[in-house]
Amino acid sequence: MQERAEIRSKYWLALFLVAAYTVPFAVGIYTENVFFDLQWLADLTTVILNGIMQGGVYAMFAVGLTLIFGVMRIINVAHGELVMLGAYLTWMFFFYVGIDPLLALFITLPIAFCIGLLIQKLLLNAVVGGPELTPLLITFGLGLTIIHIVEAIFTTDYRTIPYAPDALQLTETIAVSKSKIISFVMAAFISLSVFFFLKVHRIGKAIRATAQNADVAMVCGINIFHIYMITSGLAAALAVAGGALVSIQFGFNPETGVLYTLQAFAIIVLGGRGHYIGALIGGVMLAVIESLISFMIPNGTAMVEIASYGMMVFVLLIRPRGLMGPKEN
Amino acid sequence: MAETEIALDIQNLKKYFGGIKAVDGCTFQVPKGQISGLIGPNGSGKTTTFNLLTGVLDADSGEVLYNGENIVGLKPYEVFNRGISRTFQITRIYREMTVFENMLSASSMKMPVREARERAEQLMEFVTLTKLRGEYGGNLSYGQQKLLEFARALMTDPELILLDEPAAGVNRTLLNNLLDHIHHLQEDQGKTILIVEHDMNVIMNHCEKVFVLDYGVKIAEGLPEDIQKNEDVIEAYFGHR
Repeated sequence: MQERAEIRSKYWLALFLVAAYTVPFAVGIYTENVFFDLQWLADLTTVILNGIMQGGVYAMFAVGLTLIFGVMRIINVAHGELVMLGAYLTWMFFFYVGIDPLLALFITLPIAFCIGLLIQKLLLNAVVGGPELTPLLITFGLGLTIIHIVEAIFTTDYRTIPYAPDALQLTETIAVSKSKIISFVMAAFISLSVFFFLKVHRIGKAIRATAQNADVAMVCGINIFHIYMITSGLAAALAVAGGALVSIQFGFNPETGVLYTLQAFAIIVLGGRGHYIGALIGGVMLAVIESLISFMIPNGTAMVEIASYGMMVFVLLIRPRGLMGPKEN
Repeated sequence: MAETEIALDIQNLKKYFGGIKAVDGCTFQVPKGQISGLIGPNGSGKTTTFNLLTGVLDADSGEVLYNGENIVGLKPYEVFNRGISRTFQITRIYREMTVFENMLSASSMKMPVREARERAEQLMEFVTLTKLRGEYGGNLSYGQQKLLEFARALMTDPELILLDEPAAGVNRTLLNNLLDHIHHLQEDQGKTILIVEHDMNVIMNHCEKVFVLDYGVKIAEGLPEDIQKNEDVIEAYFGHR
């Protein structure tokens, strides 16, 4: 019985995703935004490519969120604020010190790792394994605090970093902006590094062991509180790296972190909570549908957030474990 | 009789769960370099005692002296790093990791990687799991999981090994293998082993000393043949005659 329900939910999820990808096209045809000529197809290809590039960056910071959830079962709603903080750190190094946003990663990532370590040690280590609401509220408060501090220092004005604004012509009609390509390559590199770290390095193995069963990890001599701190440090570094990479593409202000938290949650719900590869796939899928919406639906840019909300709600209703998550007990 | 050395000195250990006195002032000394058995009827507090000894549960009061140090209140990984290792009644392995990764997960961070790998290879050979080194933990049979958990418990070369029902759910051949390994550890390497077990054949034929718990208190200790005749023990298991 259970297996049949399991298979059925898989088909429903597939159906939902197909429908979700069809909606922008349907609306586009209805509002006469879809043209069946070569130029339009080239534009569509450009949009999808841009979406995939964007997805790589989303996926990277979503992986940070999924790591924290997978290892500690903590729902960290301050994750997007760390993305925003990463954007501001990069901006500061760019304008005050004059460091290239990508080179600045060498400085911002260690800083981020330490921030994550401290957050874990001071705020979260004491409440891991307890009722889920406590860490959730703590991270909620932390997120608001970060927003208000950044607001106090930088005001609510939008900032941008002018970086590699020109586009790369793939063919005569298809072009992808260089900053997107650079971001995607960096995101892929960082995500893969973390993946191999988890797979091969013994601390990575200890992190996976703790995620699978913290009680066993403890009787196998793993100091899980150290592991929690390293995990949080890694997650913060992924968030800040995400912030650096979005800062060279989009404007940001202290409030933008909220949207990134939401996107990250939509991604890990779709990919499967706590699942690494799932988060990567989910990231790309969400970003592609977002770009399709803004491309074909009139006034679509203002509606992309619906994609995140809708994705999260429907996946939770249809198949709570998402694409690749573990079975619910 | 000459005094044997004490590996683990348990003094007046207590653990209550609400009104239930799971372990209620338990006192006994585990002799060093021997195989001892801990028995008792269901719910007599054997597994709770194990959990208290390994830091999985915090004791309400009492002391456990190991090498002169009170280990009550230490975290499980701190107990483990002092040389006390254990297995569980229901095996606890990482189901989504390979046999080899399961083995490596129990190596201390201080142990050099190469040494850890070599030791993992040796131990897998020791419990005949080498062929399955790349198999995921969740795909092993229950008996193989027990062997894996046992081998994993030996990764850091612990002095004291606590085994919680090693015979449960294991077929005869595998059980005899396991018991051979346990004897080998005790005779050749001088390890101390404490076994919780329901299978009386295992206890009576393989343990040098037996402790009997009932309602969280030690009611008897001694040689297996004496325990079999002990009136208190018979009453605890079968009630009044």
